[in-house]
Amino acid sequence: MNKIAPRQLYFLLAAVMPVGKLILMPTQLAYYAKNDLLFPAAANFLLQAGIIFLIMLLSRSNRTFYDMLCYTFGKIAAKIVLSSLALFLFFAALLPLFEQKLMVQSVFYDTLPSIVAFAPFYLFSAYLCAKPLCNFGRAWDIIAPISIVGFFGIMLLSVSNAEFSALAPVGVNGAGGFFGGTAYTMSWFFDSALLLVLIGKFEYKKGMAWKSAVSYLIGAAAVLVFLAVFYGIFSDIAERQFFAFSKISKYFSGMTVLGRIDYLFIYSLALVMAYFCALPVHAGVDCLTQAYGNDGVKPVIFSVAINGILLVLSFVLDYRFGVLNDTITKTLFWIFPAFSVLMPLLALLLRRKPREKV
Amino acid sequence: MKNITGSLEKDLAELKKILPAEDILTFEFQSEKGLAFTCVFADAVTDKELLGEQIILPLKRYEGEATAQAIGEFVTSPELRKEKSLTKLAEEVLAGNPVLLFEGADEGIIAGTKKVFVRAVSEPPTDVVIKGPREGFIEDVKINTSLVRRRLKTPDLKIEMLKVGRRSQTFVAMCYLEGTTPQKTIDEVKKKLQSIDIDVVPDSSYLTHFLSTRPYSLMKQSGTTEKPDIFCAKIAEGRVGILVDGSPIALTVPYLLVEDFQASEDYYVPSYRATFTRILRVLSLIVAIYGPAFYISAQLFKLQLFPIKLLLTISGSIRDIPLSPSLEMLLVLFVLEVLNEASIRMPKYVGMALSVVGALVLGETAVNAGFVSTPAIIIIAFSGIGLYAVPNLIEQTSMVRLAMLLVAGSVGTYGIILLTAFILLYLVTSENFGVPVLAPFSPMIGRDLRDSIVKYNLASLPTRPKAFKSKNKRRLKTHE
Repeated sequence: MNKIAPRQLYFLLAAVMPVGKLILMPTQLAYYAKNDLLFPAAANFLLQAGIIFLIMLLSRSNRTFYDMLCYTFGKIAAKIVLSSLALFLFFAALLPLFEQKLMVQSVFYDTLPSIVAFAPFYLFSAYLCAKPLCNFGRAWDIIAPISIVGFFGIMLLSVSNAEFSALAPVGVNGAGGFFGGTAYTMSWFFDSALLLVLIGKFEYKKGMAWKSAVSYLIGAAAVLVFLAVFYGIFSDIAERQFFAFSKISKYFSGMTVLGRIDYLFIYSLALVMAYFCALPVHAGVDCLTQAYGNDGVKPVIFSVAINGILLVLSFVLDYRFGVLNDTITKTLFWIFPAFSVLMPLLALLLRRKPREKV
Repeated sequence: MKNITGSLEKDLAELKKILPAEDILTFEFQSEKGLAFTCVFADAVTDKELLGEQIILPLKRYEGEATAQAIGEFVTSPELRKEKSLTKLAEEVLAGNPVLLFEGADEGIIAGTKKVFVRAVSEPPTDVVIKGPREGFIEDVKINTSLVRRRLKTPDLKIEMLKVGRRSQTFVAMCYLEGTTPQKTIDEVKKKLQSIDIDVVPDSSYLTHFLSTRPYSLMKQSGTTEKPDIFCAKIAEGRVGILVDGSPIALTVPYLLVEDFQASEDYYVPSYRATFTRILRVLSLIVAIYGPAFYISAQLFKLQLFPIKLLLTISGSIRDIPLSPSLEMLLVLFVLEVLNEASIRMPKYVGMALSVVGALVLGETAVNAGFVSTPAIIIIAFSGIGLYAVPNLIEQTSMVRLAMLLVAGSVGTYGIILLTAFILLYLVTSENFGVPVLAPFSPMIGRDLRDSIVKYNLASLPTRPKAFKSKNKRRLKTHE
């Protein structure tokens, strides 16, 4: 299988990664920052865009992160770092996975279904994670347009109902709202850590660093527009409107005649979300495969084991989402900048070529 | 492997030992000078009139040396070969080519007077067009290669004849344009064809199993066509074409999924019309696959999917149905599949009666009796028609529709979405002779998208599809 093409990477950054931020992040932002919700989101996006730019500079050597770690610290240290990155990615995957589970249970069914309704996702994820990460690139070619169509469809149906004056006056919630919103939504911003796993799996071409950052910012702009429309529609009750993307378009006047045509777009985004939620798990499995060797069977074992654990966790924590959400977003939120900001920054110091033998 | 000995009696006895069948006949005669000849041929597959005219009559007057070279120069047949091996001579007899043995022979002579029973070249029933050529391939590989040669009058067109099948010895013609089709693809196809060790090859579809890189794949592994114009166009794009003796269906590799959404007529009508019909094919396939699944998933799990007035109509019609929505839909689908299968196999006139019984009597009565609802029949009927908008994918799409129905009935809409994600993933990772099956969508090849679901006019398609990695990229000279 070929390497990931630059275009596929831009698609990932611009059209796939933002989708994961449309489920519960808007309500979390509205809870902390109220009508200033755009600013903490923008701050996180800008920080990630900067880190993505730096990671892309790091990828100029066309070496994988594991190779660089090996050149600098040796194999054992590289294995430890990559294993910890894998653990982080599995941890980071929890929130999107559980969000998606709740979204599926809430949006796709009239009555609350059993957890079994979501269980097939792990089958899909296990199949996907057993395949090389490079295979994913081609999937982005297909799902990025689906994501764009889904997003624009929802926006088109909902923008006319938004009252943007709800976003004013700016800054009334003070610095507390801004910093609270920024810190407690960091759990949705681990994009740079994902990119760290991808370096070396694409060939760096001139200008890719800024193009990647711009692609990410395009996706960020789309999310910000979404947040504005979301708050414009729900205003003060926005913090109670979970699974926002499935709700904001339902007030479209044509629905009475056409039915819920917005579901077509919601389903499109749900399809993209299935891929997005499997991405951190896939990246984590890839880290383990790199660290412990790929003999053809190991990725399958890692994939089945990790997805099995996640499935069991889904059963165990089925009615504990509130606790899980609070633990990840409030107590352990600092883990996210540690791996998606600090680790990429430290990675800039790594040796990119093997030590020459004397 | 035994060779010709020069003793007519011994050689004939040996050949008879290899060919003991009763339809293998011999004709013995002598030249004016007394040289003894025996012609061995298979009854019914040898043109005896031609054999007499071109071989036997001239040889009766033969006065020259008893060597295959001299005799070969004397007879009037344009298609003569010489062979020492008796096994190979026996194979030729079975293929319909008579073998001439004579006293003191150094080699046997094979005369190309095979009798060919062929039907006329006609419009293929599977690919009828309003505009465009109406010729279709027939069961004879030589006529099929001539149809190809007539359209591609270039020395670059190479037709390599291979024999596949231990017992059937079926001729397989591998066609490609030298310098256009990548050598790697040609070598790979040839290697795969040569490595086939099968008893009999009754049809080209047998070869698709051996040509595939993923033998258990859900997806098709080679393109098929019955039309020489499509076949030539595909070869000209950089593919390898395969014609099999005894089969009117030609194969082309590498295969792209998008090619089944394209019809030959798309190239003979204005591009806007071609684009419209291609989009229509895609949409009808999507509705055919997803329609029944979403219908039962909406009924079972999410009634909000229906507009309120439609919901009232549907609830009115399903109120007294004893079956669950998924069972009801599966029952109607089962009836459709049975009707479909029976109408293909039954004699033409019975088939028509069957359609009337199936569609009108059975459908109407089932609704009146309250077994199934009218919406279920309408949806399955449209789905049945919709699948045939892309007839070349019917085997795959009908199975996908069934899988979607089962998933929708058990998991609901999210199951449909996950199955779609799974199929997409499966497709994006599928390759055929090194070419991604989903090209030009994944990997996205901008230039190739001009002739995908959208169809640009021919002047805007100056290059061959990039997906095939052809060395000769340009097919149209533009005056820019």
